[in-house]
Amino acid sequence: MELDELKYQLNQRLATDHASRSNADISALLKKKTHSVISKIKRSLIIEMVLCVLFFVAMLYVCFITNYWSIRVYFGVFTVLTVLMTLVLYYLYRRTDTLSDSDRPIKANLQTLVGLLEEFVKRYFQFTMALLPVCFMFSMILSYADPVEIPEIEKFSVKVFTARWQVMVFLGVYMIALAISVYYFTKWYLKKLYGNYLTELKQYIAELDQ
Amino acid sequence: MSNEKEFIALLNEHQRIIHKVCNLYMDAHADREDLFQEITLQAWKAYGNFRGDAKFSTWLYRVALNTAITFFRKEKRQPDIFSTETIPDFNATDAYDPIEEQVKAMYAAIGELSKIDKAIVMLYLEDYSYNDIGEMMGITANNVAVKMNRIKTKLKESTQKYMTPA
Repeated sequence: MELDELKYQLNQRLATDHASRSNADISALLKKKTHSVISKIKRSLIIEMVLCVLFFVAMLYVCFITNYWSIRVYFGVFTVLTVLMTLVLYYLYRRTDTLSDSDRPIKANLQTLVGLLEEFVKRYFQFTMALLPVCFMFSMILSYADPVEIPEIEKFSVKVFTARWQVMVFLGVYMIALAISVYYFTKWYLKKLYGNYLTELKQYIAELDQ
Repeated sequence: MSNEKEFIALLNEHQRIIHKVCNLYMDAHADREDLFQEITLQAWKAYGNFRGDAKFSTWLYRVALNTAITFFRKEKRQPDIFSTETIPDFNATDAYDPIEEQVKAMYAAIGELSKIDKAIVMLYLEDYSYNDIGEMMGITANNVAVKMNRIKTKLKESTQKYMTPA
C-alpha cells in the first residue's frame, strides 16, 4: 500500500492527543522555561556576563589595596580585559536574541543556528586561548621587574632547584604543559557541549541540499 | 495580555498540529511532553513576528518543525525509533484488520525516516503543495518532488518488514 492511500488514517493517528490541553494548561506552559539550545547559550552568556562584572569588581579592589605596583598593573590589565570581554559577550547575547526566533524556513533556521553556534564556540575558544599568553607574559615580566617574595615558595625553590636555569626550565615546561592541556581541554569541552549537535545540524543542511 | 489570550485561543484551536509533530518526532511520552512545551514556548516567543499574511496553521507548522528538528536533548531517554507496539491504537479489537496493519506498518516506517524526511512527509500528509513545502523547508519545489519520490520508495520498502506475512 502507498503513502497516498493511507493519508487519512495516518493523519488521524498522528493527531492523537496523549494529554488534551485546555487554555489554562497552555497558559501555564507559557510561564515555563525553554530548553532550546539558543536559550542555553543565552543563559550561559548571562552567567558569564555576571561573572565578568564580579571579577571586574574584585580585580579593581585588588588594584586599589595592593602595595605592589606589579600586582596593580597585572590586575589593572585584567580589569580592562574583563570590560572588553563583557562587551563581546553582550554583543553575542544581542545577536543571539535577535536571531533566535524559529519561524524562518527550516533550512534558513538551521543555517542561522549553525552560524550562531560556530561563532559562540569560536569566540569562546579564542578568548580562552588568548588569555594564556597574556597571563604568561605578564607574570614573567612583572615577577622579574617587581619580585614579590613569599617565604614558603622561597624555601621550597631553594630545596628543589640548585641553579637559576633549572627554575627557568621548570617554568617553561610548566607553561607549555598548561597551554597544551588548556588547548585540548577547551577543545574537548566545546565539542562535548556543542560539537556533536553542530555536526547533526550540518548533516540536516547537507540533506536538504541533496 | 489580550495578545496572550489571542495566542492561547489560536494555539488551542490548532494544537493538533503540535500533537502531530510531537507524535512523529518523539516515541516516549515524557519526550513528547517536553517537545510540546518547547514548541508552545517557541511559538509564543515568535508570535510577535506573526503578521497574518500566512495562515496561522502554516506558521505554526514552521515553528513546530523547526523546534522538533533542532530540539536539543542532553540525554536521549528513548531512541527516536518507532516500534509498532507504541503506535496509538484506535480500533483495538481482536479481529484482524488488514488496513489497520498497513497503517501501523507505514507509521513505523515513517518513524524510521530522518528528521528532514519526516518534516516533508508531515507536510505532504497535510496536502500542502510542493511549492508550499519548498517554501517552508527553504528548498525548491523540484527538490521537494525528488525527495518525495525517494521517500515513497523508501517507505514502500521498509513497510514490508513491519507487515506480518499472511
